[in-house]
Amino acid sequence: MKIMVCLKQVPHQDARLDINADGTWIQEDNIKFEINSYDTYALEEALRTKDAGEADVFVVSIGPDRVGQALRTALGMGADRAIHVNDDEANGSDSLGLAKILAAVAKQENPDLIFMGLMSDDDNSAAVAPMLAQLLDIPHTTAAVKVERSNGTVTCDREIEGGAHEVVELTAPCLIAVQTGLNQVRYASLKGIMAAKKKPFDVKSVADLGLSGQVGTGAAKVKIDRIAPPLKGDTAEILSGSTAEVVAGLVSKIKELGLL
Amino acid sequence: MSTEDWRRIDLYAPTPEHRAFRDTLDEFVEREVEPQAAEHDRNETFNHDLFRRAADLGLLGVTLPEEFGGADLDATAAVILYEALSSSDPGFALAVLAHSILFAQNVNVNGNDEIRQHVLPRAISGEWIGGLCMTEPEVGTDVLALRTQAKRDGNDYLIDGRKTFITNGGIDEHTLGDVFVVYAATGEREISAFVVEKGMGGLSLGQHWKDKLGMRASFTAELVFDGVRVPATNRMGAEGEGTLAMMRNLEIERLTLAAMSVGIARRCVSVMLDYAGQRKTFGVPIREHGQVQRYIAESFAEYRAAASLVFDVARRFDLSQTGQRIEADAAKLFACQVAKRAADAAIQVLGGYGYMGEYVVQRLWRDAKLLEIGGGTLEAHQKNLVKDLSRDPARVRA
Ligand SMILES: Cc1cc2nc3c(=O)[nH]c(=O)nc-3n(C[C@H](O)[C@H](O)[C@H](O)COP(=O)(O)OP(=O)(O)OC[C@H]3O[C@@H](n4cnc5c(N)ncnc54)[C@H](O)[C@@H]3O)c2cc1C
Repeated sequence: MKIMVCLKQVPHQDARLDINADGTWIQEDNIKFEINSYDTYALEEALRTKDAGEADVFVVSIGPDRVGQALRTALGMGADRAIHVNDDEANGSDSLGLAKILAAVAKQENPDLIFMGLMSDDDNSAAVAPMLAQLLDIPHTTAAVKVERSNGTVTCDREIEGGAHEVVELTAPCLIAVQTGLNQVRYASLKGIMAAKKKPFDVKSVADLGLSGQVGTGAAKVKIDRIAPPLKGDTAEILSGSTAEVVAGLVSKIKELGLL
Repeated sequence: MSTEDWRRIDLYAPTPEHRAFRDTLDEFVEREVEPQAAEHDRNETFNHDLFRRAADLGLLGVTLPEEFGGADLDATAAVILYEALSSSDPGFALAVLAHSILFAQNVNVNGNDEIRQHVLPRAISGEWIGGLCMTEPEVGTDVLALRTQAKRDGNDYLIDGRKTFITNGGIDEHTLGDVFVVYAATGEREISAFVVEKGMGGLSLGQHWKDKLGMRASFTAELVFDGVRVPATNRMGAEGEGTLAMMRNLEIERLTLAAMSVGIARRCVSVMLDYAGQRKTFGVPIREHGQVQRYIAESFAEYRAAASLVFDVARRFDLSQTGQRIEADAAKLFACQVAKRAADAAIQVLGGYGYMGEYVVQRLWRDAKLLEIGGGTLEAHQKNLVKDLSRDPARVRA
């Protein structure tokens, strides 16, 4: 079995985020990056499949040189090989552009399963996974909180509104976008880190994938116009007085606004 | 190398492997080390299960050869390890250091192939817990005066004497550690080094030192050698080469103890910075008060200076060579005092809360003091430094 895991490197959760000079993204110099939390669960799920039987697990990421570190960590955790799409032409890709790049990799590799995170900690768009499945014309599910495999099919519990779970069955090849918390993610052991040095690490360009002119800023249908912190307004009302008074005030406010 | 490349060098994690290792350690420390630290300090117990987990992750063999299960990494990797463990649990870090550096690394540089083959795979896998026996009830700094005797008896030696303050001397109240490097006199002011294993008749666990100021998560004990029969093949090097053996391993010992100090200092700076942003007095967060700023800023500057020194010494370090005693002594001499001052400043910034166990820094304060004593006292480093520098004044300049 061949399993593809898509990873994104995102700013570390503790990193201080400042907006860059032209106001279109954050200042990336001198901040720490890490693997998108959702994707670590996806990788763990793939590695568990490998532990349970035979599987070739390869990880794919798109981005500049720094992304190599995320892929190496994944190799240290146990992935067999890495593909790094490292090309300035990919910069500025929207979700569809990214999905196209990943689809081109998938077409070259023909994986039986694709695992990825439901969304990324930085963009929160949750769009790449369904787009990728669509481009590959394979079944997919999102927000998986439990994944079970039996020959040729994958059964997933997915989280839906109100805490309910929906159970779906997919036929491979298929794509599963996971929710956080569905497993306990392993660390890269020192042995794993050392072994990673010898694992195949391919670097590909947009042209290698036959996508010249089809991705990146030029092709993007969604462009980030401006990012800004929420404006501080004066619409908040602060209740004061004793605890009893504050609670009474809060209750009447809730009633007044018809929130309950 | 271009100016740009030079600027990009990360002294603290220069290669992708160092970076991945540091990330793993950060997670391991947060998920598994930190949650157990206070309890083992309180109970004065060594956490054997955590030690086994460390073995699973490969942490016991960082600098040791791959053929025996180690990672064969450099001094920088060792510094990264002890800095990270010590930022959370210096007592546990000390136990790992006594095992991996004082014991296993010592065997690796001083033992012949047969001894290394016998000892290192078991030490790296965590099957054996090792320690180093240098100090005696009446002899510490003045090692050449040690009284434990090894007398030749046919193909064996018979060792008699007592060793004390031995980290990992025991695993718990009733269990002796598994294996030790023991320095014993084989003549007048002549020392030899031996590997002594549990099960060799006459070796027993003496007093467990309880109520230590700090490092309570490491087990410190006295060992009694009562005619312990040790095969001559367990001697490392020739008779009388014990002092040389000691010198060969001393530098990495001091460097990693310095790394522990850096970890303590880092944690203290983080704790006080965080607290000073939350605690309010006179209507403002206490970090607005100049005197509090002074504690935080001075500690930070000293921490960064210590980190730079320790990692720079590690960068140049060649684990198979000696000749870096000046740098190793200087690193430990400076860093251990920085750690103690940072912990003291942190308690001060936290006020009464700093005095309480729940707020961590009082444990670090207690632990930090050991680094001014163990692996060479401050005074020993000062004497060595002046002696070595006087011999080679050109080494003053950085
Ligand atoms: C928690 C803990 C763990 C330890 N673990 C180990 C271990 O695993 N293995 C091991 O072998 N040992 C271990 N030790 C022992 C440690 O290495 C010694 O305590 C240390 O070397 C100092 O020796 P001492 O205690 O005998 O002090 P002494 O040598 O008696 O020194 C007492 C004081 O006199 C000063 N002094 C001594 N000689 C001179 C001099 N010539 N000039 C100026 N000042 C001098 C010293 O600096 C010190 O201030 C441990 C100690 C502790 C507390």
